[in-house]
Amino acid sequence: MVKNCSSLSKLKILPVILQALILSIVFTGCANVAPWERGNLAQPQMELEPYPLQSEIQSHNYSSREAAPSHKSTSGGGGCGCY
Amino acid sequence: MHRNKKPQCYRGCRKLSDHSSGSAVHSQHALHALTSAALVLPGLLLSPGHASAKERINFQYSRYQEGERNLYGAPHSLKPITADVLHGSGLFSLTDRTTFSFSYTQDTWSGATPITSTPLATTGGNRAYFGKGGVVAGASPILQSDVLLNRDLTPIGRDLFTKQLTGDVDPRSVLVMVSASPETRRQATFGLSHEWNEAAINVAGGFSRERDYKSSFGNIGGRLDFNQKLTTVKFNGGYTFSEIGAILDHDSSPYINKDAYIQNIVRRGSSEILRDDRQDWVANVGLTQVLTKNAYIDASIGYTHSSGFLENPYKAMSFIFVDPAELNNGLSTPVTGRVRAFIEQRPGTRNQVALNAKYVHYISPFNAAMHLGYRLSVDDWGVNTHTFDASWVQPLGSGWTLTPRIRYYSQDSASFYRPYLFTQQTYQKPQIDSLGREIYFNPTNPDALYFRSGVFGYVDQNGNAIDDAVAQTLQPKYVPYQLPKNFSSDHRLAGFGALSGGVVLSKLLAKGVALEAGFEYYTRAGSMQIGGGGSSSFTDFDYYVANAAVKFDIEPVTSSPMGGQDSSAMSHNHAASHHHHTIPPAGIMFGHMLDKAGDFMAGYRFMYNWTGGNMMHGTHKAADQRIIDQGCSGQDCQFTPANMDMRMHMIDLMYAPTRWLNVMLMPTFMDMDMNLRELSGVKDPLRSAAHSSHAGLVHETGALSDTYFSSLVKLLDISGHRIHVNLGLSAPTGKTDIEMRRTHTEEGGLIHFGMQLGSGTWDFMPSLTYVGERSRWSWGAQLSGIKRLEEKNKSGYRLGDMVQATTWGGFDLTHWLTATVRGAYTWQDRIHRDFDQFNARMGPMDFPSNYGGQFWDMGFGVNARIPAGRFAGNRFGIEWLQPISNDFNGFQLNRQGSLAATWSYHF
Repeated sequence: MVKNCSSLSKLKILPVILQALILSIVFTGCANVAPWERGNLAQPQMELEPYPLQSEIQSHNYSSREAAPSHKSTSGGGGCGCY
Repeated sequence: MHRNKKPQCYRGCRKLSDHSSGSAVHSQHALHALTSAALVLPGLLLSPGHASAKERINFQYSRYQEGERNLYGAPHSLKPITADVLHGSGLFSLTDRTTFSFSYTQDTWSGATPITSTPLATTGGNRAYFGKGGVVAGASPILQSDVLLNRDLTPIGRDLFTKQLTGDVDPRSVLVMVSASPETRRQATFGLSHEWNEAAINVAGGFSRERDYKSSFGNIGGRLDFNQKLTTVKFNGGYTFSEIGAILDHDSSPYINKDAYIQNIVRRGSSEILRDDRQDWVANVGLTQVLTKNAYIDASIGYTHSSGFLENPYKAMSFIFVDPAELNNGLSTPVTGRVRAFIEQRPGTRNQVALNAKYVHYISPFNAAMHLGYRLSVDDWGVNTHTFDASWVQPLGSGWTLTPRIRYYSQDSASFYRPYLFTQQTYQKPQIDSLGREIYFNPTNPDALYFRSGVFGYVDQNGNAIDDAVAQTLQPKYVPYQLPKNFSSDHRLAGFGALSGGVVLSKLLAKGVALEAGFEYYTRAGSMQIGGGGSSSFTDFDYYVANAAVKFDIEPVTSSPMGGQDSSAMSHNHAASHHHHTIPPAGIMFGHMLDKAGDFMAGYRFMYNWTGGNMMHGTHKAADQRIIDQGCSGQDCQFTPANMDMRMHMIDLMYAPTRWLNVMLMPTFMDMDMNLRELSGVKDPLRSAAHSSHAGLVHETGALSDTYFSSLVKLLDISGHRIHVNLGLSAPTGKTDIEMRRTHTEEGGLIHFGMQLGSGTWDFMPSLTYVGERSRWSWGAQLSGIKRLEEKNKSGYRLGDMVQATTWGGFDLTHWLTATVRGAYTWQDRIHRDFDQFNARMGPMDFPSNYGGQFWDMGFGVNARIPAGRFAGNRFGIEWLQPISNDFNGFQLNRQGSLAATWSYHF
């Protein structure tokens, strides 16, 4: 039942990363939003993390129940989550 | 250039925008012009998606509740896992561009967790114990068992209750569960960040502490803005060092093979502790790019390298040993598999790569934002994951925002994950030397070998017979097992999919106070894995999380949309507009009122209570023998508390609807730990063996405690003299049915009265306070009480009533600092009635008559009020209360003192 496709996926991921980088460079070139047109972007609901307290709780629960790397891996800590 | 102006502008602009939307297009244009004018000022552009730091303080309480695991109807009394999480954090500006942040998180969890998985058809597994009248008294994990297999190694079923063979094959698997007493983790994080016009850098570090796992971490990160802030590049790196000191479960440890970790296990008393450490390195780079005036994208790639002890020391793999001679004997009768548990073994390193992408789009007709996210991670354990999530942030007007959210997650199984494993080798096959003799060894000197000679005799390596004393210490040497290098049955490494959804509701109150509540339901199933093929349904479970938060924006609010004035000057004026009465010492509750209608106060109160040292009886020290004989109502005491710490966190919210009436809401959180010691001179040490063995005799609890709400009424307010009465109620939101885990077949029962988190009853809490002041002197007195309004709580008892009288004097050392001295007398009644459920009756703390008494204390404290500048309006107080004289009811641990610390902020 257990699949072992880690090596396969690692090969697959490289083009994805490259594409993402290329896309971002393309976007950099074409975006031209003047400062006075950024009112909507500055709305609080447009923040990357509109609810930091909520996402902290969620990621702590996910990381103690799932095997993906922690969403908040940068902040460290989190303890054992051994339950 | 003053950075503070910018967010004020945005806030102000937004307010205007909210009011004008849909009414006057003309004002929209005017607004745009204003916004634009502000935005073109150099250095004032916001980086997309990155909120500028605002000074704020947050408190959050969250509850995690898991559903029952599928044990196929086996009788049990296992409680699913619950976790209570308390979080506080703050962000403060040190200079215009430098901010300091801190956060503190404390979680307490308890409940039953899987230790391994086996075929359902073993003779062991989750075995129930039946008490009086056939009622299920509990379940204990039976890790060593047998399973009957057909020649394809498919288990032959057994009845779950009688364990009799059914005759049919039964390929189902089941989790074997073990219960745990409450445990608490604490984490503190500190950060410092500095911003330039187009860059930022931040450093942070902290630590997390729990009884069996300690970690310390640090990270550094930054941000660079390009292209007129249309593009932002982010990066950070972090390092975590963790020390594991796992206290192996006394119940299950004798039945788990720990040979692979023999070097790591140390003994402390009757506990076995597995020690090791691990290190985690992380690095991330990311990019945020504005796409249009309504959309941006955020993408990042992260790498995590972990090494060291990556196992979960509490998880075991079940190996089913099948004797190859029996399997290959040519017959077709069933064969017996011996189920044996081994601590799991994971690889010593792990490399993970994660790719995140998030797209955020402003939906103009709704004034809403749509967030779409995708995350891919791969690692060298074979765990590849996909996460999709979407949320819709919808402002509803009047400060309300509603955010529904949905998430789907799927992961592949780790290459070494199996529910259990078959191994075709004999369990405990004796080693034979070249002469055909069985080999023996002495565990204290494993290098010296001995050999069976004749029926009863042994010889050493030189062929000499050895004497009986040595012979009795010998153990047979077995053929070493040939097991895979890595194996785990931790269901978090299985293949599965998970769907979750939830909603966040937030409300911005006036004066920078915001309330937030969230709910999420999560369900996991093997069948939901992408591409199917996940683990079978025996690991499926669900959970929900509910939380509530209050956030204080402590930056002074200004009504000017352009933020034209200097903000710190504004706040000074704001603060100075109050006439400042001196406030009572920090240990006094409900001791002051707000002065003006419409005023709001938010605060935090911390109380620490320390008991320890000698056991006392009345006013005198009590010797162990006397406690044994008299402390436990006729039976012999076995244990006594050695020390106990209690910490309380209270959130103060106070509002003045009118000048003479204030209303107050005070949610409280509490956590406690108690160390026990065995009384010297116990006659029957066997009775206590089971309890003494578990978890080193440390008991911990912690979570939401009772919630107070009250109204304060001003009776007198003349120059220099004020009197008010407080009519308060305490709602029984704290639990009074917390249990200790069971040990072997012995129930843990309800934990001690003093370790339960609330009173369990509705309580009336009145108080009458007088305060006076004249030039630099201030003084006051308070009479307060607690009257329990119910006969008993859900566990059958009721705490004693209480009366306290206290008086104090204060002197202003400077215009912002006051020193206080106070005296207090407290009378508290004993506990009435008793537990109506099982309690282990371990020592004096389990008997109602050993609570309450009369206490005389002296308090020494200081109060400070920040008079001007950026933090104007903040008040701090701290007080130490020193016991002077005690008269205890029954036998109790001596009081060592208590500390109260408060922070409050008036709006």
